[in-house]
Amino acid sequence: MYQYDAVDQEFVADRAREFREQVARRLSGELSEDQFKTLRLMNGLYLQLHAYMLRIAIPYGSLNGRQMRRLAHIGRTYDRGYGHFTTRQNLQFHWIKLRDAPDILDQLAEVDMHAIQTSGNCIRNVTSDPYAGATAEELDDPRVWSEAIRQWSSLHPEFSFLPRKFKIAITAAPKDRTAAKVHDIGLMIRRGRDGQLGFEVIVGGGLGRTPYVGPTIAEFLPANRLFSYLEAILRVYNRHGRRDNIYKARIKILVAALGAEEFARQVAEEWAKIGPEGDLPDTELARIRGAFATTVFDALPAHSEVFEAAKAADPALARFARNNLRPHKKPGYTIVEVSLKTIGETPGDATSDQMDVIADLAERYGQDDIRVTHEQNLVLPHVRLDDVPEVFAQLQAAGLASANVNLISDIIACPGLDYCALANARAIPVAQQIAQTFADPDRAEAIGELKIKISGCINACGHHHVGHIGILGVDKKGEEFYQLTLGGSGAEDAAVGKMLGPALPYDKVASAIDTLVEVYLRERHEGERFLDTYRRTGVEPFKEAVYADAH
Amino acid sequence: MKALTANRLIDGDVVFWKSGQWVEGFGDADLFDDPEAAEAAEGQAKSQPTVVIDPYLIDLIESDGLWAPLSYRERIRALGPTNHPTHGKQAVGGDVVEALLHADGAARSSGRVNLIKRK
Repeated sequence: MYQYDAVDQEFVADRAREFREQVARRLSGELSEDQFKTLRLMNGLYLQLHAYMLRIAIPYGSLNGRQMRRLAHIGRTYDRGYGHFTTRQNLQFHWIKLRDAPDILDQLAEVDMHAIQTSGNCIRNVTSDPYAGATAEELDDPRVWSEAIRQWSSLHPEFSFLPRKFKIAITAAPKDRTAAKVHDIGLMIRRGRDGQLGFEVIVGGGLGRTPYVGPTIAEFLPANRLFSYLEAILRVYNRHGRRDNIYKARIKILVAALGAEEFARQVAEEWAKIGPEGDLPDTELARIRGAFATTVFDALPAHSEVFEAAKAADPALARFARNNLRPHKKPGYTIVEVSLKTIGETPGDATSDQMDVIADLAERYGQDDIRVTHEQNLVLPHVRLDDVPEVFAQLQAAGLASANVNLISDIIACPGLDYCALANARAIPVAQQIAQTFADPDRAEAIGELKIKISGCINACGHHHVGHIGILGVDKKGEEFYQLTLGGSGAEDAAVGKMLGPALPYDKVASAIDTLVEVYLRERHEGERFLDTYRRTGVEPFKEAVYADAH
Repeated sequence: MKALTANRLIDGDVVFWKSGQWVEGFGDADLFDDPEAAEAAEGQAKSQPTVVIDPYLIDLIESDGLWAPLSYRERIRALGPTNHPTHGKQAVGGDVVEALLHADGAARSSGRVNLIKRK
């Protein structure tokens, strides 16, 4: 992975020192809360219901064992022994004290981490493919571009006070594991007919109050022109974005108002003015690329006797292999996805002890490489097939071996009203009830891929709009109610879900999901996922069943 | 009936007003049945910007013969998150916690909506 040099290290250490001074000035009364709030948010520190929340950046969801172990230590020392992995591949601690925050930033800086670009109206942490560098599907390593964008955008003076926050996703595989089409900018690496590398540029996607699947404004942007083009997009947005209305300030509103064609024209005009001088020198890109080329793989046979024998002897391992392992680009290796969706637990949470186990496994069996997925799971991207039985045994011992990745209990949920100052309703207990309803692993496997995503308010941190089944918590005359949407997708076939019908009370949600699943099992054709069946039949059979039950 | 609440600056903890001081348990909070006294306390609280952040009054209802915050959000603040019964103030148990757990009422805050500004 990318290694900080002395300049990078000094930069984050300086930032931590600066924040220590700012906290002291706030505590002495020199800074008011209004003045301080902007500064603390620039370091990922929010005030929530019970305490401060610190959101730590995990750039493009990539970290090593030492960093994970430090997060475990911070959780144990300054929080309540756990952390929450988010849908933007970051980590949040929910019980932070302001007086401890400077020490925590110091501790993060020691392991090349920080909380910059996790809040505020800047270019946020870039989302990328958690299988980057490990999957054979990719055309290029998207981490190289993600890291280049990170360096370009960190404290970029022109883009630190945008009309609103700005999120970029990059994927290099046909299978989109980044939700690129619902980001402010989605970049999909493409290969041109002449073999040249480039990007399909999607702008103006987003969730929240006004969800959009973003339109493509450039089918093929030569890769070496990326940075001048990004600058042009951001400049047009910075100039015309709706600073007068927070609900209309995201770039998606501007793109929708102008139309994709006119927006693209304005970007092209700006791009021509910037010219190639705005692009990253090839030498700089090569330097960054070099940092990711250090992973060395052994020449192994594609087939592992050890793994096959262990699978044959242990049905639990066989189930784990079916659901949590993905093909690796090198023979004899596999990608191991670690579910943070143990039935009955909080989606995305990991205890400090579990983080230590992941760090150990990464160091011992996984080339010291760990990824966070936007679906709130972890990934060990490079594990030898021979080592899978041992990795599985250690995950089992740590309560991390749930074999449910992409299944119905692999639910995204935001922290909701249990923690968040913005929420209208709880999300976590709803996820727990649904997971418990589908705790039978045979039934979950029979249902197949089904993505449920839950948000506790319209800001949509739980990505409910793009759930195959989306659940949005609302406040209805003082009670928690939940609106169901069907047919959304955050993947390459991105779509915004359609509302099923009137919102349901808290205690009816899990049984309604059960009903939806029964309709799917009844209606599905061979090989269809829930989403495919819904797209074929439309909403009617689902609606009829849920509301017949409700009355 | 009302109580006065805020988050403490130095640690973010939920606190309640009691005789010019801040206490951590809702059960120890001053209860105001006189709106003028409540507003006077709120005014005093707002003059402590290095102690607390955004003090505000919350509405209360009767529950199990005791008083509890009307809004669900405020009950979660006074208790702790529902997914971790051992986290937050609910961990201590007792009659007040039970009364809060059994209370019914509005899901939204009765006083803190102005804090919902931006993520």
